[in-house]
Amino acid sequence: MSSSKSSQPDYVTLVSGDGFEFVIPRSTACVSGTIRRMLDPSSRFSEAISGRCVLENISGVVLEKVCEYFCYNEKNKHQAHVPDMDIPPELCLELLMAADYLDT
Amino acid sequence: MANRRQTRNQIRGPHSALTDFLASNNISAAQIHQDHQRRLQEAERQAAVEEEGDVTVGHDEHHHVGELPEERKKRKRKEAVALANIKQSKEFARRKARRTGESDDDDEAIAREMMHERSRPLPGQLENCEACGKRFTVTSYSKTGSQGALLCAKCSKVLADDEKKLKAKKRGARSGRRQNQSNLLDGLIQQGALSLAEMCTKRVADNINDIEEFGDLPSQLLHRLSQILCKRRVLTPRTLNLFLRPGIDSIDIYDAAKLETDDFEKIFTLMPNLSCVNIRFAGQMKDKVIESMLGRNLKIKRLQLDAANLVSDTYWRRLFQNLGVQLESLKLSNLDFSLDDESVEVLCRCCTNLQRLKLKQCWKAGNHSLRAISNLSSLEHLSLSFVQEVHTEILLETISRVSPKLQTLSLEGFSNANDRLLEVVHDNCLTLKKLRFSHNAACSDAGFVRLFTDWENPPLEIVDLSSMRDLDNTNPESPTDAIGLASQGLVALMNHSGSRVQKLNISSCRHVSHSAFEEVFSHEKTYPHLKELDVSFHTVIDDYIVGRIFRCCPKIRKLVAFACFNLRDVQIPIGVALIGSLKAQDPMIVRSAY
Repeated sequence: MSSSKSSQPDYVTLVSGDGFEFVIPRSTACVSGTIRRMLDPSSRFSEAISGRCVLENISGVVLEKVCEYFCYNEKNKHQAHVPDMDIPPELCLELLMAADYLDT
Repeated sequence: MANRRQTRNQIRGPHSALTDFLASNNISAAQIHQDHQRRLQEAERQAAVEEEGDVTVGHDEHHHVGELPEERKKRKRKEAVALANIKQSKEFARRKARRTGESDDDDEAIAREMMHERSRPLPGQLENCEACGKRFTVTSYSKTGSQGALLCAKCSKVLADDEKKLKAKKRGARSGRRQNQSNLLDGLIQQGALSLAEMCTKRVADNINDIEEFGDLPSQLLHRLSQILCKRRVLTPRTLNLFLRPGIDSIDIYDAAKLETDDFEKIFTLMPNLSCVNIRFAGQMKDKVIESMLGRNLKIKRLQLDAANLVSDTYWRRLFQNLGVQLESLKLSNLDFSLDDESVEVLCRCCTNLQRLKLKQCWKAGNHSLRAISNLSSLEHLSLSFVQEVHTEILLETISRVSPKLQTLSLEGFSNANDRLLEVVHDNCLTLKKLRFSHNAACSDAGFVRLFTDWENPPLEIVDLSSMRDLDNTNPESPTDAIGLASQGLVALMNHSGSRVQKLNISSCRHVSHSAFEEVFSHEKTYPHLKELDVSFHTVIDDYIVGRIFRCCPKIRKLVAFACFNLRDVQIPIGVALIGSLKAQDPMIVRSAY
């Protein structure tokens, strides 16, 4: 277990349905339960082996916002009274669906 | 006759009620108009005189060359009086407050500035705009620009908009702390960021009026959205439409106060698959709605209605008969005079599969209802809050008959119930998980000790024994045999249920002593599941006890302590909400876990 963990790269790639790729730290991506389970080495999913998650049903615009949230979450991990992240109103319903799918 | 003759001599137009009223109060439009004209003329005359003075002499005394000494003295005296008057005005104080930080001799300058402003053009005159230079008509809404001259309507609007923006920004900054305090009162201590889903849900709720439809949002998100919208009281007929989706089998509306009768009918028309209905503050729900519900043969299994007090008893009975055995859960609250004993009897006769029953604040329900409830053999959850006094015997019989399967027993406001009820609970309830018995002054501490000692029931998870105390005003010191839940009772309760209890409310049980709390929260004790504790109105609670509580309850998230006046400087562990302490503004003290 420890050997497999040490061999895991620090960054993972998230790919949107329309082909945009986002390279973000593994720890931030694991804020999402869905991605965490995808990347869990014990699952032996192809995502876990390649470190590349293709999220077919999420568009690039939404995934960009999701990645922004991952970093925002990481940054504010231990703080009380965190101000809400700015979400453009036209994006919020799509983002909500994505958040539900990603278990975030 | 005399009256008519008098009026014949005068020529009059049509009389309105307002004219009559004004006349009877000695108010005449003509008079008002005349006064106004006179004032305008006077002001104009004054302005003209001042302008003349300006042309010939100017402001400074060096320029008053052609003036006679007496005239100059007179003018200066007038000016001094005017300035003194201005300095006493409210407007002057306001302006001064705005310019704090500048030197004191500024007073004179401000007063002079105001005096010159007073001679500004009157409404109706033409003037050149300070900003854009255009000629415009002065109105009373014209604003003053940065150099003291007037602005045209367009520029005034721009200025007003800018001011508004500034104000809005200020408020935004302040509401953060308010929101935090408000969250604290709700027991929400936020650590780190909110989840993305929660943040988006809030954002959707913010923009609810721009949303056309929700698409295929999953029902648990719809539920959360409904909660947020209802809390903000913006669930209107328009927003309701977003929630009406034929595929979904449940609807939860926590605040239906803004919905009309038609909207309720629409719910049942558009959602034929409904099996769980939860509508609160349903004030406009009437017989018509129930009728349309009955006509559709809905498969409702769980029904919760709050404040539907316009539904008549006939329709309640028809509803119960129609739903019959398919109904598993019924919660009715705040029905006032709408549900009578006979309807409850019909309910208990027809809906024999009821597992969960809650009747709260239904004013007409009494002894007969209670007796009818005793026939419900599959009941697992029972919550009653009656307004009418009931016979203790009937209550005891009902509880003993339904208790074997009960997981929840909640009795509020049964003031007659005494230790015998506790005995019945002790002897008959064997599967209870939640026990609420509050607002009672007849049970004794010894009764509670007997209830919780050697009770076969497994440890309780939710316990609410609030307001169990002596209420005799003539005897402020409690009687020697403690009334309500007191020291011994609390110790027995925690010995019995401490290992599983998650929520405990013992507020206002005022006879628990300091030493009893010390014993309950002593070093060797832990309550591994306790998350919420309410100890309001226990004046013996002090910093030491609260510190012990935090140590004995590793999972505690919410401690309610209103009116605990001995709480001074408590160290609050991170992630715990202490509600009601005297210093509400205290920052949360961040400390590592024990």
